Amino acid sequence: MVLIDAENLHSPVMKTRQFTHLISVLLLLLWGGVMLYFYASGRLAKGEYVSKNGWFTTMVIVGGVGCIVVGLFNLLTMGAKEADCCEHDHGHEGHDHHDHGHDDCCGHSHDHAHTHDCGHDHKHDHDSCGHDHSHEHTCCGHDHHHEEPKAAGHAHGILEESGFIGRLVAILILAGPITYASIKSPDGYKSINTVTNRGVYDQSYQKDAKASKFDLKKGDAGTQTVPAVASLPPAATTVATPPAQTTGPAANIPPVAAVANAAPSGASQSKSYGSFTLKDLEAQVPKSKEGNFQLEVPEIYYTAGDKEVQGVITGQSIETIAQVIPEKVNNEKGTRVRIFRMLIQCCAADARPYSVPVEFGKEAPKFKEMSWVKVVGKMNYVKEGDQIVPIIEATTITEAPEPDSKMVY
Amino acid sequence: MTASDPGRTGEILYSFLSILFEGAPYILVGTLLSGFIDAFLPAKLLDRMLPKNKILATFSAGFMGLIFPVCECAVVPVVRRLVQKGLPISCAMTYLLSAPIINPIVILSTWTAFQNPGDKSDVTPWVMTVGRISLGYLIAVVVGLAMLRKKPADILNKSIVDGIAGAGDDSGHAAKTGFDAKLIHAMRTAMRDFLDTAMYFTIGILITSIFNTQIDQTKLKLVAGNDLLAAPALMGLAYILALCSTSDAFIAAPMVAFNYAAKLAFLVFGPMLDIKLTFMYASVFRRKFLVGLALALFVLVWLLSGPWSSLMQRIFTHPS
Repeated sequence: MVLIDAENLHSPVMKTRQFTHLISVLLLLLWGGVMLYFYASGRLAKGEYVSKNGWFTTMVIVGGVGCIVVGLFNLLTMGAKEADCCEHDHGHEGHDHHDHGHDDCCGHSHDHAHTHDCGHDHKHDHDSCGHDHSHEHTCCGHDHHHEEPKAAGHAHGILEESGFIGRLVAILILAGPITYASIKSPDGYKSINTVTNRGVYDQSYQKDAKASKFDLKKGDAGTQTVPAVASLPPAATTVATPPAQTTGPAANIPPVAAVANAAPSGASQSKSYGSFTLKDLEAQVPKSKEGNFQLEVPEIYYTAGDKEVQGVITGQSIETIAQVIPEKVNNEKGTRVRIFRMLIQCCAADARPYSVPVEFGKEAPKFKEMSWVKVVGKMNYVKEGDQIVPIIEATTITEAPEPDSKMVY
Repeated sequence: MTASDPGRTGEILYSFLSILFEGAPYILVGTLLSGFIDAFLPAKLLDRMLPKNKILATFSAGFMGLIFPVCECAVVPVVRRLVQKGLPISCAMTYLLSAPIINPIVILSTWTAFQNPGDKSDVTPWVMTVGRISLGYLIAVVVGLAMLRKKPADILNKSIVDGIAGAGDDSGHAAKTGFDAKLIHAMRTAMRDFLDTAMYFTIGILITSIFNTQIDQTKLKLVAGNDLLAAPALMGLAYILALCSTSDAFIAAPMVAFNYAAKLAFLVFGPMLDIKLTFMYASVFRRKFLVGLALALFVLVWLLSGPWSSLMQRIFTHPS
């Protein structure tokens, strides 16, 4: 309503323009402010919204500073004349643009008819925009009679060319979600829905592209490449408690071999990737004071794809810090929990859970879902369904403080 | 560990902000480019740079991403402006669709994602990287060529069409105004374009973050073995996840249950169309055209991904 009142003052077009300009500046400052606030307050790093690797954090600063610079520039030059943007052809409108009587040809207020459906349908009907000057603001009964001259429009933003309701909706969309999310975001995936939906219970243990980062065979890796389908690794044949037929989702993976051009690495096989000895393991992996190999969950996950690594690591004491959730796969006796870490590529929206089961041999202790634990145990590999599953046979599991880096990079 | 569980809303908001922080800086870069293109680039320059023959021009527009690398968030405002500066629709369409794929950063990340650390003879990185570039290029050019006879008014929003530079009466016009005024014009244009794009971006990523966190993605595996459905299933996933084209290969690579064809479809379709892009495209295209474009892209990628991945495998498995 304020907007309409302003429009009805002496120079309605100018007033609307300045008001829109001011709102635009404020919105830009809001977006820039949010980006810089998240960086400066440490929430960006603590919540691990974007990957700490690469340019992502830098780009947030660039974006924040950029928005504020552009905003302030436009605020300070608000009254200034723009370049004669009438280099655009207005001739097709059939009238001379110099007759518009504007001091600034960019100052046309483009209140062409936009049919905004009431409510929150944001698909603007641009088809009717431009030459239809009938101002059919059908929405919610507002009737605006703008008196601005026929505008030979060139593309102006949504804020310049929609009707009152359109502008209001645009402002709300631009300001609402970002503000609400900034206040309410918990800075992390705190409940189990997302990790479940992204497949924490549906893992394909194998060696794949990302394994390079977590490969225990650093340095001399891959000298011998025998992508032959290996039979079961020795570890799997010496399983202490082989579970019954699997019923979990992991068992439901259709055999990939049926597909002619299937990806070469099937989910089910471990392969031979060249020799690996205990010495190699000791050279690659740090040990704790107690003499346990300190491995991250994704590292454990990828050992399942490599026969030789499995052979060496089976029976070794390892420890890891991860988040714990109830086990839902092959856990009829309730002797297992599952631990996972999220692996991030660029931003938290692409973070994926990597998980392994932890076996206790007796009823598993109860932990608050998603809480952080330190697991110490011996590695084992069990054939379950059609894949080799790395399992930690736990000796101890204790609550642990949240690590500085919750995501794995 | 707080006692309260913020639950689903928290996950959505967290995911929303993370995509916003990843994408918004690039939108700003794109809109600043757009603003400066509008203020400083003479409309004639593009004409001079591109081949006179429109068909040749369309073919070369497919490589513009290599010189002018922008991801899919930044490309929309840039293309909008280039069209108004006189870039033919066919070239604009080809550039719009190819730039997020044929772009040095994306090529490198695709290559990295499909590396097999233990198996240097594995053809996967070749099949996926070359397959993605070539199929992306092919589809971008095909769609571009289909636009050869289209007039801007047929497919673009009225407001975009109205801004298209005139047929020659404006040559040298831009030179008449001073640098300060041009800078002001560039910054104002950047602001308008940023807010315009950011609004559609906000709607898109809000919906994406709901799907991204609340939909059970593991169900997709049920169709992984089905030759006919695997590709469209992953294309659907690419659509709802709306990942950046620099990171999507890392999501596709570990999906072992899916074959090359389905992954290729995921990697080619995603950068061309997803939820956030649908909304951002809505700021450029007529709605009817947008529906047609979406259908065409879906069908093209679906039909071509299978034969294309077989072809790539044949080429790289028997090098000679």
